Amino acid sequence: MKQEHFMALYGKEWDTLQAWLDRVELRNREAMRSPQALEFPAAYRRLCHHLALARARGYSREITDRLQNIVQQGHRLLYRPPAPRWHRVAMFLVADFPRLVRAQWRCVGLAAVLLYVPLLLCLVLVQWKPELAHSVFGSTQLAEFEKMYDPANPSIGRSSGTDLAMFGHYVMNNISIAFRTFASGLLLGVGAIYVMTMNGIIIGSLAGHLTGMGFGHPFWRFVVGHSSFELTAIVIAGGAGLRLGLTLLAPGRQRRGPAMVAAGWIGAQLALGAFAMLLVAAFIEAFWSSIAGLPDLVKFGSGGLLWLFVLTWLCRGGAEPRQLEPPWDELGRNDGA
Amino acid sequence: MLDTVRQFETPEGVFLRLRAAGALPRAQAWSIDLAIRAAVFWGSMIPLAFLGAGGMGIGALVMFVLTWFYPVVCEVYFHGQTLGKRAMGLRVVNADGTPITWMPSVVRNLLRAVDMLPGVYGVGLVSTLIDPYARRLGDIIAGTMVIHTSELPSGSQVPVLAAHRPPLDLATDEQAVIVDFAERCAQLTPQRQQELSNLLDPLTGQTGEAGTRQLVAYANWLIGRP
Repeated sequence: MKQEHFMALYGKEWDTLQAWLDRVELRNREAMRSPQALEFPAAYRRLCHHLALARARGYSREITDRLQNIVQQGHRLLYRPPAPRWHRVAMFLVADFPRLVRAQWRCVGLAAVLLYVPLLLCLVLVQWKPELAHSVFGSTQLAEFEKMYDPANPSIGRSSGTDLAMFGHYVMNNISIAFRTFASGLLLGVGAIYVMTMNGIIIGSLAGHLTGMGFGHPFWRFVVGHSSFELTAIVIAGGAGLRLGLTLLAPGRQRRGPAMVAAGWIGAQLALGAFAMLLVAAFIEAFWSSIAGLPDLVKFGSGGLLWLFVLTWLCRGGAEPRQLEPPWDELGRNDGA
Repeated sequence: MLDTVRQFETPEGVFLRLRAAGALPRAQAWSIDLAIRAAVFWGSMIPLAFLGAGGMGIGALVMFVLTWFYPVVCEVYFHGQTLGKRAMGLRVVNADGTPITWMPSVVRNLLRAVDMLPGVYGVGLVSTLIDPYARRLGDIIAGTMVIHTSELPSGSQVPVLAAHRPPLDLATDEQAVIVDFAERCAQLTPQRQQELSNLLDPLTGQTGEAGTRQLVAYANWLIGRP
């Protein structure tokens, strides 16, 4: 078939498709309701067929470039991402995220060790040798902390600011740290290891110092509420970073490229889960932990319940109901006998 | 060929051509985004300032969203384009040329923290210079790339001459060479043009300036001009 003939036969069809695609880019909703939308996949496939024919027959660039442009435009529309569904978000939080944390228990566990071992070590060491706190914090910092957790302070845990202001501050600060922890795992995991260990040392020394000087009661009252969400989320973000770093070091039975893509996918999901947890933690920290007037039972009781909730959620969320022992097959029984 | 065009075969059996965007237009797009975000932040802080300390809290939330989620939301909802990328004619796509989805966008924008590292995008710049498709680390791990939205110039820059049919039927790549030559000859010195067109002496039967003109006339015919 001559090129002119080919164009005369199908030119009108290409023009219609092109016009509809242009309309979709301008007025998406209206164009998608038109009857042409139903015919689009078939029309697009025909166009691809025409492009392949035009190339195989060696038609000039006038025609192949024109078809190529329409194909690229159509490809973007046909393969566009589906609209997000809130159901998916809920499913992620209830089931997929805890499952993912359990699947990545090695990295998350390692991150937990990197946080909690320095934390407990510093907590004990500072009780034993109180002057060690001064090698972690400057004296102005220590004075600030002492003012924050002074039993005489009406809103414990902060030096100034209203609930809402502190909520914004916690969100910006803590979640940015979590995201950076994940990202810095790319530096062979060094970033994640550093963040986890430093946080362990700082939290442990602070807790040890305040407990040692008798401000322990307001301090533990303050942190017991949000620590469940906050510490666990930081551990998970650290685990996500370690996942990236360890995959870069030892990709296992995969090439490094695809292994890193898979690790990035897993890590980003963990980071998003940690983001949701830190949002909750910031809410609790700003609006609940700072209330000074509640009795100890309520404070520590609610804190304990939250810890129980977080651990149950992560350990059991999305778990398959436990199945009965599968019946032994014939071969196995005979083998045993 | 030494080229930044990446070709992908789609399920329909045709090839997509993606033109990777280098560091400079991307840096410009990022600067535009930065200016927009700064303007939005300051614009929102003016009314929030009247709310006192609580306003500062909301301001911090605005800052947080602008920092981490502005690029993700823009890329997913506006066809892979933040406002800066749209202004510069760039687009983020998945490695297989399909429009970007949520998780790859989250990965590439969270890993921005590493690409930014020493000073202003040091790691990212080195990565874009090394990678054949100018991807920064975040792009490599997310499996995405940034491309130019404008299509390849398809003969529109060929100088206009009366079309002349080539004496032989040319293969597709041979046609492409002639059209590319005609498109770029404005950027070459006359001496270089003639040096190149003299190589096709057997086809045109002419040398020197006449040979160049003959090739441009063929190109005009190939792209369908009268």
